[in-house]
Amino acid sequence: MVFMIPLFILLFLTVIQAALPYFVKRTITFGVTIPEQYIHDERLSAYKRKYTVLASISSLLLILIFCFWILWRSPAEDVLIFISTVFEFGIIFISLALYFYFHGKTKAYKTEMQWTEQLKQVGVVDLSARSEDSLPPWYIYLFPMIITLGLMGYTIFQFNLLPDEIPTHWGPTGEPDAFTEKSPFSAIQLLLFLLLLQLMFLGIQFGMKSSGIKLSATNLAASKNRQFILRRLSSWFSFFTVLLITMLFSFFQITIIHPGLFSNSILTIIIPFGTMILILAGTVILVLKVGRSDKSSQVLVEDPIMDVDEDRYWKGGLFYFNKNDPSIFVEKRFGVGWTINLANPIGYFILFVPLVIILILAFV
Amino acid sequence: MIIRIEPESEIPIYIQLTNQIIIGIAKGDLQPGDSLPSVRSFAADLGVNMHTVNKSYHELEKRGIIEIIPKSGAVIRKTLHIDRDTYNRLFEMFQPLIAEALVLGMTKEELVDLVEGIMKKMST
Repeated sequence: MVFMIPLFILLFLTVIQAALPYFVKRTITFGVTIPEQYIHDERLSAYKRKYTVLASISSLLLILIFCFWILWRSPAEDVLIFISTVFEFGIIFISLALYFYFHGKTKAYKTEMQWTEQLKQVGVVDLSARSEDSLPPWYIYLFPMIITLGLMGYTIFQFNLLPDEIPTHWGPTGEPDAFTEKSPFSAIQLLLFLLLLQLMFLGIQFGMKSSGIKLSATNLAASKNRQFILRRLSSWFSFFTVLLITMLFSFFQITIIHPGLFSNSILTIIIPFGTMILILAGTVILVLKVGRSDKSSQVLVEDPIMDVDEDRYWKGGLFYFNKNDPSIFVEKRFGVGWTINLANPIGYFILFVPLVIILILAFV
Repeated sequence: MIIRIEPESEIPIYIQLTNQIIIGIAKGDLQPGDSLPSVRSFAADLGVNMHTVNKSYHELEKRGIIEIIPKSGAVIRKTLHIDRDTYNRLFEMFQPLIAEALVLGMTKEELVDLVEGIMKKMST
């Protein structure tokens, strides 16, 4: 039965990756800015179709190999989880390779067609957009943080109850499988990681709020709709993820203090898998809602104008590097969500400092 | 209110911003007492350097159109009547333009029509 979970994740990845060209911003094709007047070009549509077909076939082939491997070897759980991660990276690698192939073709085709030569670039700002932007307030993050601090206090208070060996890792069925010696630090280590993660997500929320609301001059309504939906949904999704992770870590911490409390309980399976399934479900909702938010309207652009062509700031169409833009994050060009402005050091600070601290704490 | 800029135009972006904000106030899209976005969020929305927006705000402040209040940011001023210095400044700005129009053969009536045409655009 355990093999069903990686299989489900692999299929999930395949579908999301194969459908990506249809969920990105309407004026972007494989990381290249296309003027609104030409987004329905035959050749571009053919590129997207080819990408989807090739990505699905090769990913499904990988999944088939994975299934045969399971049937042939009947691997142990930990080996199965490890190999399925390798296959997950395989699927991502395939779609990335295909992306780069079509990115190159689209770029060359755009130059060949000289679409941007006759069009005037126009940048646009809505001065009232900030007041319509409804993101959750930062202080809702205090709630999971207070839970973490409370549990830390409780752990120290119950220090005598703790076993001599503190679990540090849990297997796929929710049973601890790695341990460390008991000390005041190891007792609350898990909660310290949790607190750092919560701080990181709070930083991300701040970054999303202060980043630019990027609008399109050729399709103001659709681009505004997409930006607002992306900002609102992704910040709520972040908070929802923090709540789920807090619940999961708190559950593990309680099982450390009171090992007997949930032994043989169905909760040890439901909580880890429930968390994973809810996060995957949230991702699907986010991708579908944001991905479709700017596709419904048909617009006629009368003036010979286009959006500001920012292709030169996007290395490979994937990495944003713009020294002028004070935005910490910007909307992804291939995928749904945000990517970091590599020219802004605040972004590195928000994302990498907590992760580096966690890695140092975990391995030193 | 929507602001449009052309990054490839010969007119520097900060001047484009200044002009559009002034037109927005003249049209009534922006009212006295309204505040403009913070320099950071304006620059982020447009993807331009913060100095560009800052320069535009300082230009507007210098001309007495906005007031930069610590903490509240840039607020549009309520101006009742034009003072002597401002009158002289505008006079100097109009002079070469009107001279150019005359040199290029515009009549007085055509000039008045032009001014009325612009005024009409501002009142709609």
